[in-house]
Amino acid sequence: MALLKKKKRVSKKLKSSWRKHTNITDVEDFLEEKRLEERIGPLSTISNEALFQVDSKPSEQILSSRRRRKAAAEKPLKCFSALQSYTNVPDPISKRNRVRTKEERMSKFVKEKQILNGGKITKGKESQNIDRKLKNFAKRGEFNANIWEDKDNLKNEEWVETNTTKHNLKGVGVQIKKHVKSIKTKLPAIELPHPGMSYNPSYVDHQDLLQEVAQKEKKLIKEEEHLNRVTRGMFSKVTAEKRDQNWLVDMAEGLPSKNNTKIEEEPNSDGEYKSVNPPVKNVKKTLQQKRKKKEHIKLEKAKSYLKMQKKKITDLHNLKKLVNQIETVDQKQVLIREIKKNNKDAKKDGTKVLSALKYEEPDLDFNLGREIAGNLKNLKTEGNLLEDRFKSMQKRNILAPTKRRTIKKVKVKKYTKPGHKDEDWKKTVARSYK
Amino acid sequence: MVSKRKKKYTSGEGAQYMTRKAALKKLQLSLNDFRKLCILKGIYPREPRNRKRAQKGKAGIRTMYQVKDIQFLLHEPIIWRLRDYKIFNKKVGRARAVKDFEKLNKYLNSHPTLKLDHIVKERYPTFIDALKDLDDCLTLCFLFSTFPSLAHVPRDQSALCRRLTLEFLHAVIEGGCLRKVFISIKGFYFQAEIKGQTVTWITPHHFSFTPHSKAEVDFKVMSTFVEFYTVMLGFVNFRLYHSLNLYYPPKFTALQQSGDEKSLVDEDIFVAERVAALNLPLSKTSNELVEEDFELDKFNADGSEANEERQEEIRKEMEKIKTLKNLFKGFKFYLNREVPREPLVFVIRCFGGEVSWDKTLFVGSTFDEDDESITHQIVDRPSMDKQFISRFYIQPQWVFDSVNARDLLPVQKYFMGEVLPPHLSPFIDEEKDQQYIPPEARALYNENELEEQHKNDENQDEEKDEESAEGAEDDDDEEDVEEKEDDEATASKKPKLSVSTGEVFKEVPWEKDRQERQEFRLREKMVKKKHRNLYKSMMDGKQKRAKEIWLLRKKRRLHDEKEKGDKKTIKKDKGKEGSKKKVKN
Repeated sequence: MALLKKKKRVSKKLKSSWRKHTNITDVEDFLEEKRLEERIGPLSTISNEALFQVDSKPSEQILSSRRRRKAAAEKPLKCFSALQSYTNVPDPISKRNRVRTKEERMSKFVKEKQILNGGKITKGKESQNIDRKLKNFAKRGEFNANIWEDKDNLKNEEWVETNTTKHNLKGVGVQIKKHVKSIKTKLPAIELPHPGMSYNPSYVDHQDLLQEVAQKEKKLIKEEEHLNRVTRGMFSKVTAEKRDQNWLVDMAEGLPSKNNTKIEEEPNSDGEYKSVNPPVKNVKKTLQQKRKKKEHIKLEKAKSYLKMQKKKITDLHNLKKLVNQIETVDQKQVLIREIKKNNKDAKKDGTKVLSALKYEEPDLDFNLGREIAGNLKNLKTEGNLLEDRFKSMQKRNILAPTKRRTIKKVKVKKYTKPGHKDEDWKKTVARSYK
Repeated sequence: MVSKRKKKYTSGEGAQYMTRKAALKKLQLSLNDFRKLCILKGIYPREPRNRKRAQKGKAGIRTMYQVKDIQFLLHEPIIWRLRDYKIFNKKVGRARAVKDFEKLNKYLNSHPTLKLDHIVKERYPTFIDALKDLDDCLTLCFLFSTFPSLAHVPRDQSALCRRLTLEFLHAVIEGGCLRKVFISIKGFYFQAEIKGQTVTWITPHHFSFTPHSKAEVDFKVMSTFVEFYTVMLGFVNFRLYHSLNLYYPPKFTALQQSGDEKSLVDEDIFVAERVAALNLPLSKTSNELVEEDFELDKFNADGSEANEERQEEIRKEMEKIKTLKNLFKGFKFYLNREVPREPLVFVIRCFGGEVSWDKTLFVGSTFDEDDESITHQIVDRPSMDKQFISRFYIQPQWVFDSVNARDLLPVQKYFMGEVLPPHLSPFIDEEKDQQYIPPEARALYNENELEEQHKNDENQDEEKDEESAEGAEDDDDEEDVEEKEDDEATASKKPKLSVSTGEVFKEVPWEKDRQERQEFRLREKMVKKKHRNLYKSMMDGKQKRAKEIWLLRKKRRLHDEKEKGDKKTIKKDKGKEGSKKKVKN
């Protein structure tokens, strides 16, 4: 095969062919050079020292792998390289970075000490004392740092996923703390108020709220009634006297009483002796009885066989019915499963059982119609914010419901020492001197 | 050899949970200290999946903690501080008993304190996390700021709460973050949007302090919460102030203490009072604007129309908020003394208004009542002796209702002595279109509709009034109408021969719709099997609700028409009678 020869002359009739076959490398090179010059400045102005340097050290220092990793971690991530500047063209806005003030430049340790010591810098033992003071006295209400500012730039990076940071900080010696995830319910910290709780509600909203309150109250009353019926209502009340009387009657049952009522005993008919457990006799069936039994069993078997055969035929006819039956059972099961799952899901986000006491929903706050003043000045406040927060925390599983323990006063039995304050001292004290 | 038998509850759920008593033993803390530690570190009791196994076969319900959580607590350096407390208390107790006052003084002057900074950072790794959990914090701090010194609530704690909450309010004012306000019988509900997080809090009404009954609330526990929350709020404030280019602690540039004042008040208190006034702008660290109102980029990710609609919605919302931020700009408010000062000043300043009040009411008033440039005076009394013509005398609800409506409401209904319209909750769910609302109720939430409704009612009333007057003229009108109809009929008749212009090909208008519907159905098919049932039930529910609404609307329409028809027949009857009378006459 002959090699394709490069054509000497090419048609440059079309724009595209013109572009294809024109050599413009020299122009491009020139422009490239010019751009470079713009970036790093004209070569003639750069001093020799800046352009060249004498190699005295090896260009690549051999570092330990740990150090290398550390150095790499301090650099910005490769994925952000596009965000960095790549030219030496000066920033048109000079002084983009503000110079920090003297106070800002000061080390935080020095600052702390100065504040404590009234502006003086201390040394030696004095400073140790101050350190101790600092340690003990975290002054309440002094906030002078942004705690969310992280020094490690990688850890602070909000655009990087945690896995990436972990990867890049592996073996560097920077700790990535695992945050204990606090369990959070989906219940909101502050439940949005019912519109009827407005200080000047619209009629419909207010009625709506009252309706809700009434519904809740009804439920409570019903519950209470049920409990009464099931506990106290089950038993009739008896006076103490009657109870004692009943008790007496119960206990005296079967005893010879004063009323001369005799308990009749069954007299033995004959003087014959009767054992408590008379001996068992082995009575045999007669031949006739045996035969009859056999016949009976045979007959039964035949009957049941016949019945089964019959049932087989009817079952075939009943196939549709059976299938239906099975289907209904299946459907019911699916339904039950769904309900159970829904219940479980509802429980997941709700209040959990954290202690033996049950969480009780607080009552709704409401104003009655006549209590609504309609202006801020005469407003009647309702509800207790602290209790509201307390209950809300219990609801959100932050606090376990507790009951306030009232410490019962211990009953102290009082007695006077014998002979101490006895009025009749002649009897007790004087007697011993006799 | 037989391997050793595995003991019960050494693995699985039995090993994952421990009772509170066991936790106390492991941490060697008293119950009170343990409670405090748990609250500070955010460790809560858990409900095991299988209680019997978790309780190692014991009956009843015990408070269970996860072993992991307790191990996490074990490494907390604060535990040592808590133990220091115990020792400190013993020492102090002994010194007091022995009456060694020198030592007692020495001990009391160097009491141990808890430092909670690292715990805040640990519990809220980012600032956004802290903002998410700010609801509880703010509500509790606002509440405790009203407390006097009580058992378990030291005075300096309430003072700190007061300071921090005021500073927070200043940050909200400067950032213009407030969105919704609601006055309930419980207190003022505020909702702000800070860095994209909605923060809701309740402040109590400004009435005198009412003591709480001890039986309901554990004060010690709540006080511990507040102790942590104050630290958190402090750091949040610090960060907020710095992001708004403000000094923290707040400073005022234009404030100079005069000679008299210097002798009267301490400088710190002087500044604190001005902070509490909420009325003076804070001095800034730099004049650079914190640009939050940026233009939204126009780009459509998947090119669908739904997405475009959503974007349009977002853009509209942003514009609304932009106007909301300057709602009261250029207005000057004057608060009468019977009006709750703090919430009103806060709300008005949030939306760019200027406020002042009586000099003797509180420090920080900027102009007097006789200032002619005041536009609104907020009043909560039925009448006033001296009134200025140049301003509106309105009730405080106008401010709150305007904020919720995101527009300046007409003042007429809120004038002094007027019976106020209802104060509606801004916290209604957004799925309002999923339930039927009668037109009267809908009008309450929408000003335009309210007017329309009003007009309709008025028309009806007028009709009623005119009924009797018109009576006689009616039939004449009807005749006119008939004549007109005849004319129209003749005009609309087409000539038989006509030249029709060529029709331009038109796209079938419903073709596009059809296409879209088909595509939608195809997309529906793509719903995963896992989510299919959910999707189906969702759509069914939607349809059902829509149908219900439609049904109720139809009912209403029919009812209205029927009523109208009744009126007309009555009218006609009357008209006939009138004409008869005419004839008779």
